[in-house]
Parts: sequence; structure tokens; C-alpha cells
Amino acid sequence: MFHRSSTITALAFSAAMLAPVSASELRVGFTLDAMTLDPANHRKRETETIIRNIYDGLLTRDAKMKVVPELAESWTQVDPQTYDFKVRQGVTFHDGTPMTADDIVFTFERLTKDDAMGGQTSPRKDLVGPIKEIKKIDDRTVRFSLSEPWPILPAMLPVQEVVSKAFTEKVGSQGLATQTNGTGPFKLVEWRKGDSIILQRYDAYYGGATEIPPVGKACVDRVIFRVIPENASRVAALLAGEVDIINELPPYDMKKVETNSNTKVMKVNGTRTFFVALNNTKKPFDDPRVRQAANMAINKALIIDKVLLGTAVPLNGVMSPDAFGYNPDLPAYPFDADKAKKLLAEAGYPNGVDATIDTEGAFKEITEAVASMLTKAGIRTKVNVGEGSTLRAKWAPKSDKSGDMYFTSWGNGSLDPADIFVPTLRTGDRGNSAYYSNKEVDVLLDAANVEVDQAKRADLYKRAQAIVNKDAPWIFLWLPQDLYGVSKRVSGWEPSADSRINLHDACVK
Amino acid sequence: MKPLALISRITQLVPVLLGVSVIVFVMMALTPGDPVEIMLADQQATPEQVQAMRHDMGLDRPALERFGIFLSNALTGDFGLSFFHRRPVFDVIAERLPATIELTLAALLLALAISIPLGVVAAVKKNGVVDRLAAIGSLFGTSLPGFWFGIILIILFAVQFKLLPVSGRLDFGCEVPPVTHLMTVDSLLRGRPSCFADALSHLILPALTLSLPMAAVLTRVQRSAMLEVLRSDYIVFAEAKGISRRRILWRHALKNALVPTVTVAAIETGSLLGGNMVVETVFGWPGLGRLVVESIFVRNYPLVQAAVLLYAVTYVLLNFFADVLYTTLNPRVRL
Repeated sequence: MFHRSSTITALAFSAAMLAPVSASELRVGFTLDAMTLDPANHRKRETETIIRNIYDGLLTRDAKMKVVPELAESWTQVDPQTYDFKVRQGVTFHDGTPMTADDIVFTFERLTKDDAMGGQTSPRKDLVGPIKEIKKIDDRTVRFSLSEPWPILPAMLPVQEVVSKAFTEKVGSQGLATQTNGTGPFKLVEWRKGDSIILQRYDAYYGGATEIPPVGKACVDRVIFRVIPENASRVAALLAGEVDIINELPPYDMKKVETNSNTKVMKVNGTRTFFVALNNTKKPFDDPRVRQAANMAINKALIIDKVLLGTAVPLNGVMSPDAFGYNPDLPAYPFDADKAKKLLAEAGYPNGVDATIDTEGAFKEITEAVASMLTKAGIRTKVNVGEGSTLRAKWAPKSDKSGDMYFTSWGNGSLDPADIFVPTLRTGDRGNSAYYSNKEVDVLLDAANVEVDQAKRADLYKRAQAIVNKDAPWIFLWLPQDLYGVSKRVSGWEPSADSRINLHDACVK
Repeated sequence: MKPLALISRITQLVPVLLGVSVIVFVMMALTPGDPVEIMLADQQATPEQVQAMRHDMGLDRPALERFGIFLSNALTGDFGLSFFHRRPVFDVIAERLPATIELTLAALLLALAISIPLGVVAAVKKNGVVDRLAAIGSLFGTSLPGFWFGIILIILFAVQFKLLPVSGRLDFGCEVPPVTHLMTVDSLLRGRPSCFADALSHLILPALTLSLPMAAVLTRVQRSAMLEVLRSDYIVFAEAKGISRRRILWRHALKNALVPTVTVAAIETGSLLGGNMVVETVFGWPGLGRLVVESIFVRNYPLVQAAVLLYAVTYVLLNFFADVLYTTLNPRVRL
């Protein structure tokens, strides 16, 4: 027995000898490995998070989710369908070659042209929008021409990264999956697949977005993304000091991380809006009073507190508070079961109504909470658990519109209403599961779509949000927050709504 | 062994693999969920993008045609592109396989090292303390779920005592050029004892977790086999000849008592491949098991099909290997 334990101690000792010698190594305990390191050949946020530390984009976002220039120096919208980007000078790829306008044109042609990646079409194609042509005007200017107005182009560009034309042509699309040559703050040292991605500071880095200080080289020498898919193990690695930042901290482990003297919890609003779509074309929810009653029946604060353990913010409309054009003045429907019953009676349902709410298995419990609250307020609700694709088909805009209620959500990675408000609430649009139709809202949304003046565009969306709030096509629910566990030795890093972990400015003590 | 037996064994593989291919294909096809939808789930995609992806993945063809293409390509060793990695399935699996092999071998060795001596002692000192403890230990070993046991080990040895790492395979300070791709072996071959110690420290907890249920079963098997052998005539005869107890046990009895243990061990090694999926996830071990679990979740058909075929081949080969071992341990058995 003595012998065995001394072996373990010896092993642990020699393992400790290898543990961080240099102080500036930052380790991230991360849920998923990168699928690929090719910036154009995936559709996964986790993969993007890793790639974004190696590759920079034309534009990026600051911690407040404002879109700012990165590899571009600035941009101008010439008309609703034309954007000019001024190319930053003096940027080099990790192999030392300068980045030029040709690299930018090449990158976006690879993203948007069919079969442009060794016979494959980029899965990120539609994230670049309805591109007609990308042209180099001169060495300092690249022009994006669109086939139709798409006001979220700048909001979507931070999710694309610029690759080197020469390097990509040399290694091919297959080669780009595992080899990198970016312009970002870190260069790849080694990718131990399924285990870790080891990055090292790129010393000739141009400094990053000028609007996000500090500008300059990265703070830490090395960054390591360690793949730890299991929640309990990821938390254990943070508590044991093996990693400095973990993503997807489970809410029930928040206390553990808070009580540990070396770690803390950091929260940030996500980008996914949860709501219950009400069938606006069918009794009883064709009557706005019934829809308002449904909104008053829900004690959102209680659900957020008890079921979501405080990790969500309540919404009174479609948009995240961090989104462009968010209207902060929308009135909340107060939780009031009696008033809800009164509204039901006014609408001609003094004895209440029977209804069914559709939901996916993953949200069964929370939907049951919603259903029991509705039932108490007179909308006797039965929960029907279905499979995702089946439910989406049932609630598609061109379906037979037979459902009553649908507990669902819509992601808004661009944090722009054009990517959530328009598809979910414009008459007949692809995600309009409530079959909501209001001419006034449609007019405002269409006007915003072609409005070049950003202040005016925001104002149009704000007005539309006020109308939707009153019409209550949905039961407005909440926006879940993302949780991170962070070691107290990390400074200069904040979680961001787009779930990226940009480590350019992060330092370790 | 006769060469004919070998050939017949290999031909037996063909219907097995074909059957497995059909089952996997049908199961994956019947499982609700669509790889394209899952892949595009983060941000809602336009119908055109969905169509382009479906075409790239060959999902716009009828299922039967897809199966035909899969079979004919698989015969030439081409398993297609992994939907999500967008690289050849073969490459993706090959990158992850060595970690699984290393873990499985370690768990197998550990299980044998625990169970054989324990089983023998339990049989010799029947109803003694060791026997009773072994019985209780086996009960726990078979009934404790791997993920729970793994997490308990992590909390104890990594978080509380800080003796062993939580997860991973090798420290980032260690860059060992690959020879066999087994980290413990490579670090020794390259003369890096500190890296060997590090690799071993990463290997201990997952290997222990994985080996426990197997060790439990093998201990029971070893014990009952030993008991049976000890009751047989030739042992009584050997005792009558005055051969020492120790020599009887380890030279005469154990050899015969090992036969069932070897069979069960070979079959259980196959099931270690299944246990790997859980253990690799808990310990962040970069092996094939975790890759397969992740691939099933996202309906990565090509990868799941290829990996399950690989599992099937391994399973059949392991059984074959057990039969061969039989004949060496007990020459009376003929294949």
C-alpha cells in the first residue's frame, strides 16, 4: 500500500514539474474541439471561437456588441446594396506575407461562390448574404455589391475571417482544415485533435481593432484551448486550477465556483430569444385580449428564478437588450391571473378555454411550468412534446395552421432585428410561427430594410416593437444568459454575447 | 491451428460486416433529426443554404442509393467525408484511434492485474476475508456507473488532493514526436521520462474507471474457475505426490483456470470499447469513443457507419484471438 501511494505521489510530483512554468499561459476549458481550422468550412460557434483567435475578420465586435472595423480601416454604405471597405495597411499573415485587398476578395469569393472550396460550397455562404459581386476597386478598397438590400451585412461580417490567397492555393481546402495562416493575435503551435489546441502569441501582430483598446500584441504568451466536454469535469478542472476560463458553466454549479476563493462566475446575455408563439389565425388566440391574458398569466420572474436559477433576462418583445434598435421602453405585462381571467371573459370566454402547447423534449419541464400558470389563469393547457423537425413543419408559415401554442426560440447571432424581427413577425416570413400579420409592422420593417441612415433604421424598428408589444402575438418570455467560470488570475477578459472567447486582451497574473 | 480454420473465420467476417452495415444504416436513417438542420441550427439558414448542404452531403439522394454508394466506396476503403469535419472519415478516425487503443490496453492490463491474483486468492482462501472483500468489491464494480465513479475519482484525486490531472492526455509542455501514437510508449522510446510520468498520470484515472467493471467480472470468473480446477483429480494427485502448494497453484492449476478468464476478457475488451464512450467523455480523453458519441448526436452518418464497422471488426478479431489463446493454454482445444 505504501509502495503504491508513493508511486502516485512520484507521478504527481513529476506532473507538477511540467505544470505552467511561464506565468503568461492562459488555458480555456472548452466544451468542444474545433471541427476544422478552415474559417469557411464549418457552421459551429465553438469552432469559430477557436479560429477567431488565429484569424481576424474585416470587422469585429467590441464587448458591448458594437460592430467596429478590424482588418478594414473603415467602411461606408454607398447605397442600400453597395458597401465599400477600406483595407488596413501593414497587416501580415503569420508566415510574414502582407495581407492585401486580393486576399479579402479571395476569402469572400471562396465563401460565397458555389463549389469554391475544392468542389464544396461553404456552409457559411448565407451568412455573408445576397452577394452579387466582390470587387477590388484599388489596393486599398474592396466593394461588396448585393443583389438585394441586406442591412445586416456589417453585423454579419464579424463572423467571417480573412484567409491568405497564396497559402490557401498552396495547401488546398483540405490542407486549410488543419494548417493555419491567419492575421490574428495568436498562431497555431499544435492541434492535438480531440484534446487541445495550443496557440502562441504572434509578435508581428498589427494590434487589432483600433476602437477596442488596448491595441498591440496579445498579453499572454500562450493560449491553450483544452477540450473537456463533460460539465462536471470542466468545473473540476477550473476548481483544481488546471484551466483559467470555462464556458457553459452549468447553473447548478455556480455556487461551487463562487465559494471557491480563486474563481468567479461571469454572466452575459446570450442571443437567443425564447417565446410562445400563439396561433393568431385561430380561436381563441385570434383575439388580442386572449393573447394579452396569456402574457399576464405567466409569472416570468418565478420561472427565471426557480427553474432557470436566475440565468435569464425577461423580455417584453422580440429583441435582446444588447441588439441594435432595441426598444427599452416596452411595457411589461404584469403577472396578474385575475386580470387575465377578466380579459378572457371580455373576449367571450367566461369559463376559460382549452388549448395545447407544443414543445420539444428538451424544454418539457419549463413548458409544463408555463402550462400550469396558463391553466391557473383560465387557459387550460395540455403539453404536447414533439420532435423538433416535426414541430417546425407543423408551425411553418405555409402549414395548415392547426396548432394553438408553440414554445420555441429564435437565435440572433447578428444582434440585429433584420435577422430575428423580420423572419419571425413579418407577414408570411420563414419563421413566422404565430402567423402574425400587421400591415403597419410590415411597412416599418420593409422601410428599415432599405434605410441607409442607421439612426433612422433603429427608430423604425423601435416603433415596430411597440406595436408588436401591444398586439402580443407571442407570450414574451426571456433571453438565457451564458455562464462562464473564470479564475481570478485572469484580467482584461469579459464574456461576450456572441459566445466568442477573444483572448487578445486577456492577461494572467 | 489449421489454415482452413483461419480462412473460415475470415469469411465469417463478411456477413457480419454486411449485417452491421445494414443495421447501422437503417438505425441512423430511422433516428429522428437531420444532420443539415443540426449543423445549421446555431444561426437559422436560408432554404438555399440547406439545399446546398444537403447536396454536398449527398442527402438529396434516396436512402437506398446512399447505402449503395456507401457500400461500394467502403469496399475500396473510402468511407466518405465526415459531415461536420468536412474531411475524410478515415483521417478523422485515424487521429483519434490511438488514444482509445492506449486507454483500452491500459484498462485491460489493469483489470487482469487486479482480477487474476484476487480471483486466485479468493478461491484458495474461500470464504476468507479476501474472498468476502472481493465479492463486495465485485458487486460495486459491476453496479457503479462509470461516469459517476470517474467524477468521484476526479473530485478526490484532482480537486481535493491535487495528485492527478482532471483530464486530457499529455501536458502541453511535452511535445513527443509520434512513433506508435501511444503517449506512454512514445515518451519512453524518445527518452523523455518526465513526459512518460505525465502521460501515465493522465492515464491512471480513466484507465482505472474503465477497468473496474471488467475487473469485477473477471475476478468472479477467475475465482469460480480456480475453485473448479482445485477440485479436479489431477490437483489431488499432484498434492498426493507432495508437490508444494505454491507450485500446484501457479503452475498446475492457474494455467487451466485461466481459460475462461481469457475468453471473458476478450469479450469484455469488446465491451470496453463501449465503456470508452462514457469514460472518454468524463476525462476529456481524445479517443474514438467520444468522437462516435458526438457524431451520433449530430447525425454524422458517414463517421458513425465507419466507426461501428471498425468496432465490429475489432469485436470479431478479439473473439478470434481468444480462440487462438485457448489452444495455447489448453492444447486439447482445437479450432
